[in-house]
Amino acid sequence: MLTKNIEALILASDEPLSFDKLRSFLEPTESSDIRDALSQLEQHYAERGIQLKQVAGGWQFRTAPTCSNIVEKLWQTRPPRLSRSMLETLAIIAYQQPTTRAEIEALRGIKVSSSIIGGLLERNWIKVLGRKDVPGRPHLYGTNKQFLTDFGLNSLQDLPDSSQLMDATATQQEKLKLPEPTQTMEHNHHE
Amino acid sequence: MQAMAENNAEQQMFAGMETALPLLPPVQLDAFEGPLDILLHLIRKQKMDIFDIPMAIITSQYLSIIDSNEELDVDVAGEYLVMASTLMQLKSRMLLPRQEVDEEGNEIDPRDALVAQLIAYEHYRMLAEELDEFPRMQRDVFKRSVFPESVHVERPLPEADLEGLLAAFGQVLKRMKKEVLHRVVLETMTVREQIQFVTEALQQGSMQFHELLHGQQSREALVTTFLAILELWRQHVIQVIQTQTHASITLMLSVSKQSDDKVQA
Repeated sequence: MLTKNIEALILASDEPLSFDKLRSFLEPTESSDIRDALSQLEQHYAERGIQLKQVAGGWQFRTAPTCSNIVEKLWQTRPPRLSRSMLETLAIIAYQQPTTRAEIEALRGIKVSSSIIGGLLERNWIKVLGRKDVPGRPHLYGTNKQFLTDFGLNSLQDLPDSSQLMDATATQQEKLKLPEPTQTMEHNHHE
Repeated sequence: MQAMAENNAEQQMFAGMETALPLLPPVQLDAFEGPLDILLHLIRKQKMDIFDIPMAIITSQYLSIIDSNEELDVDVAGEYLVMASTLMQLKSRMLLPRQEVDEEGNEIDPRDALVAQLIAYEHYRMLAEELDEFPRMQRDVFKRSVFPESVHVERPLPEADLEGLLAAFGQVLKRMKKEVLHRVVLETMTVREQIQFVTEALQQGSMQFHELLHGQQSREALVTTFLAILELWRQHVIQVIQTQTHASITLMLSVSKQSDDKVQA
């Protein structure tokens, strides 16, 4: 019965249903029992057209990514593709938050137009966290819950691990400081 | 000595390049996300060593791309031109026989700063691509929605206009019935503090406009709180709702703001 109840609650909820909420609805059921039921359900749906996913700290039923080209036929319009500038700006905000427009511009080496920031704000993927205590008091941006929900992330920790990449970059940068090995004619092939 | 060898190599390459300029497919600037993107394209496409960028070649290739796109958007032209001058400066510094040395006596490669910038940008360019591949809501995955069309018939709560808010504020001021003296005093409270106060008060749920101002002692407090409300409204942090003219005004946190706080809690 517990599994049934959980399944029904998650399906009927508009938003991802957090564990705490589930527990409060199902009192006095033990947390461990709820957790067991959830993982059972998760497994049960793993190979189905509907999947039980944990996003933005809650549980949600969503269609399987493999069915996307069929399901999208339900709607006449497809969501517009995200421009590279938008994606890059979003990625920088996601990893660097809280961050300012100037910091994003420094990383991208080009101006970040208001329409990019505006577009991300409009989609509710980012929000203004406050202002930075520097001259001009620029806005500090960070990601929003909607960002996690829409990209299917449970928390920011689920973002692609940048530390490995970062480490690689760091060692490469370390190399820069060392005296260069004897110069070879490596780039002969350019001639 | 080593520096000389390097310069010779660079010069030879440059000379070789003049005779047989590496042919690159013509590129449009708008295919790029700025100067760093162009440089990375040139470096990666030609399998150059990013830690040993042949400045002469890169500079001339970069300039020819900029030149062939004469109708540079004025908004972004600046960045492209700044990079052009950076490249030319680096190119000439590479030709100098004297190497710069840091405190520990290590040679400083003039290209270091540019390389670090390129690597950092490439890193985020990659993360952005990965992010794009995540199954995205409404593109790759969909959630239950009884009436998909209902997205378009969402009925927003009626919003109060500025006039309504000002009128309500005037009434609160009238209730104060205090003599107004024109004095210049030091600001004892800031809009920022009041923004904090208002957001905290609304955290518990929606509040009436006059309720929120009720506890404020001085005229200054009232005005500052009012300014805080206007600022929050402008930033869409709060919603200001008035169902009809002269009705009471309700303030509440915007929906997105509320759900965020739930996550943090």
